[in-house]
Amino acid sequence: MTIVRTGWLAAALLTSTALLASPALAQTRAETLRHVTGAAINTLDPNIPGSTREAFGLSLLTYDRLLSFGRKQINGKWVFDLDSIRGELAESYTVSPDGLKISFNLRKDAKFHDGTPVTAEDVKWSLDREVSANVLGKGQLLTGSLTSPDQFKIIDAHTFEVTLPKPDKLALANLAVVYPVIINSKLAKSHATAEDPWALNWLKDNTAGSGAYIIESYKPGETTILRRNPDWNRGSADKPASFKRIITQTVPEAATRANLVEKGDADIVIDLQATDAADLEKKGKLKVVSTPQYNSITFVSFNNQMPPFDKIEVRRAIAAALPYDDMFKAALFGRGAPLYGASWPDGKAPTGEVFPIPQPLKTDLAEAKKQLAAAGLPDGFSTTFSFNVGQAGTAEPMAALLKESLGKVGIKVDIQKLPDAQMSTLINEKKLPFFTEGIVAWLPSMDYFYRNFYIGPIRWNYASLDDAKITEWAQAARFEADKAKYAALGKDLNTRHFELMPQIPLWQPAQDAVMASSIDGYVYQFHRQIDFRDLSRK
Amino acid sequence: MSQLSITAKRAGWRFASSLPALFGVLVFTFLLMRVLPGDPAVFFASGPTAGKEEIETIRKQMGLDKPVPEQLLRYLGDIGTGNLGRSLTTGQPVLSDLKSRLPASLELTFSALLIALVTAVPLGVAAALRQGSGIDHIVRFICALGVCVPTFVSGLLLIYVFYYLLGFAPDPTGRVDIFTSPPPLVTGFLLIDFALAGDWEGWRAAASQLVLPAFTMALFVVAPLARITRAAMLASLGSDFVRTARSLGLSRRKVIVTYALRNALLPVLTIAGIVFSTMLGANVLVEKVFSWPGVASYALDALLSSDYAPVQGFVLLMASIFVLVNLTVDVLYGIADPRVSVE
Repeated sequence: MTIVRTGWLAAALLTSTALLASPALAQTRAETLRHVTGAAINTLDPNIPGSTREAFGLSLLTYDRLLSFGRKQINGKWVFDLDSIRGELAESYTVSPDGLKISFNLRKDAKFHDGTPVTAEDVKWSLDREVSANVLGKGQLLTGSLTSPDQFKIIDAHTFEVTLPKPDKLALANLAVVYPVIINSKLAKSHATAEDPWALNWLKDNTAGSGAYIIESYKPGETTILRRNPDWNRGSADKPASFKRIITQTVPEAATRANLVEKGDADIVIDLQATDAADLEKKGKLKVVSTPQYNSITFVSFNNQMPPFDKIEVRRAIAAALPYDDMFKAALFGRGAPLYGASWPDGKAPTGEVFPIPQPLKTDLAEAKKQLAAAGLPDGFSTTFSFNVGQAGTAEPMAALLKESLGKVGIKVDIQKLPDAQMSTLINEKKLPFFTEGIVAWLPSMDYFYRNFYIGPIRWNYASLDDAKITEWAQAARFEADKAKYAALGKDLNTRHFELMPQIPLWQPAQDAVMASSIDGYVYQFHRQIDFRDLSRK
Repeated sequence: MSQLSITAKRAGWRFASSLPALFGVLVFTFLLMRVLPGDPAVFFASGPTAGKEEIETIRKQMGLDKPVPEQLLRYLGDIGTGNLGRSLTTGQPVLSDLKSRLPASLELTFSALLIALVTAVPLGVAAALRQGSGIDHIVRFICALGVCVPTFVSGLLLIYVFYYLLGFAPDPTGRVDIFTSPPPLVTGFLLIDFALAGDWEGWRAAASQLVLPAFTMALFVVAPLARITRAAMLASLGSDFVRTARSLGLSRRKVIVTYALRNALLPVLTIAGIVFSTMLGANVLVEKVFSWPGVASYALDALLSSDYAPVQGFVLLMASIFVLVNLTVDVLYGIADPRVSVE
């Protein structure tokens, strides 16, 4: 009888769709890049609190910054390079020998979308806005010692100078992230009001940039269509961007995104389920660039201030009881870079220039029991393990394996699945004892990780770690100009991290970019979005 | 004329009497959203550098820094001036979001309801006429399937078969092919707007985009409609007036269509009204699966991120639509059966 039903349905659908099928519009498709994503762009100004990652990605296309990151290869995959910073609106820049003055020579041919030339005045207004207005850039630029309008000086129409209170390694890098966009100041000022001197309201729904693409239509939560800016020449070999049009469309269902790209109706997608990405890779029809996100970490974290996790032995017991390999396979199908299973023969970290590094951890239940006994909890204890619903796809299988394995050493775990907003709230209030989270650092330098994720009462210090040595070394590393001394500090930090085990770094998940085989030039970017200026069609 | 004025009076009174209910819904949703765990300010301040200051900014922006009674008063005042607040998820005013998305949901729901009625009524009638026969069982089976297969399963299945495997259907994203330029906005209903603009190519694109989601939705509601039709038809076939009509020797067709079916349609009308209102809200999964830019998926996104304003706006909208639909059904009922309006 199922046959009767499907037959009836098929007949009805067949007639209707065959009648209605519209002819393919081949010509426009060739010059257009269609990108599908699960999330939505919710503002055109990346600085508005609440901006989504999609909005960050968009701002990189519509606006220029003074500087941008170069690229490098890690294991054959192109990724952004924190150490190679090149000019975008700046033709060139020079840093004074004491590292306190950076001067920028601006491109003389750069124009905003409305045709007016980009001048040092626009740069000054835009950067003043970043450090004065209530915008996201304010907190970010602080990490590069950029805090006050007094630091920004117009020398002449095309020369601009930034002064730093201390030589800061991340000052330049901070000028290349998504926030410090250079805005057409005359246009923006004409829409500013007394209560809103920085035109935050207007720029939310309008762009005033000089970037590679111009907004053609913007429907929040649905589609954003971009048209190429023919005058833009900040790309490779001073050419405009390759695609004439870019369509970014929100498609909430992951399976549908996979279908679309496989059928060739969409050109590129980066947020598929790991299974779909693996499946499409196996079929071999599409290009799959799977890059371990070298600036991100997935953790199992504990609140180090809350018993029993305030005991090192308890944290070490859990680190010894986790089924790492099984979790990695079940959660990510092995797509990514593991941060366990290293060997440190002398118990010291092998390197100090970078963090995270693989930890010498493996599943060892006997060791876990020993540690529990040393903590005075030979029979184990009960606790809850939380994760947010948004990450259920990867966190659910992982949590189940964790529960099973910890049960073997007497730790009884209740799994708690929390809505995203509730999880953020509990983390912010430091109320979760034991949970999993992921972090991303836009500027993945060793000291940046330690300063932002292991110090102070801030929310990103998931482990609520308060260790005098880590705090001191991380702050010292920030301004350490001598490379050897920096690496030595890092080595100490990495070793101390392992000894304290404030949280357990598990892996760096892969970013799977699945695209038509004709698409070329994909680079993994710091903001984990696609920089469409990199892409072209062969 | 007096019939019309009675109907109008009745409708007006019904509408006025539903206002307290609407107000109750308004206050209840408002309080419910604030009781739910999860602080929206913290959620939205989740940027890589989000600190206390940013959380406070968002809290202020959402008006959450004030005590709850004051928030409620402000909210009611805003509603009075037609301001439903601003959504943090889309960054747009809720009113304009709902305005631009409601036609999408309505177009989908109307199409689905039409398909469902056209399918369910004949099925129900056929089942009633041959009670206990093979046809009756087949109809029962179809109804069971329709109800027990969740819409996201049937939706994904239809996409898999008709888009992925067979390639008949256009790509299941949005209301119109992304490369088709939309018609000038008149009603927001694409089929009507394309027709008004005389753009039949566009009309076909929009219609073909509508087929799969509308069928998915229709499948889900065929069951209640067919079951009610069957039951009402059985009741009416067994009633005195049908026996009388039969005994008068009227043709079988006349007996079934004019006497039995016409009377059986009253309960179907009632159920169709209820089904319509529930469909608008229950659309959420279909809208998600087909990337349909409607109000239901909008509200779900907002709910997941504790974005108060859109959820409150959505519930208010749904309550108003429910009131309107009930009103319409009442009026239609009165017209179909004059006895009802004599009160």
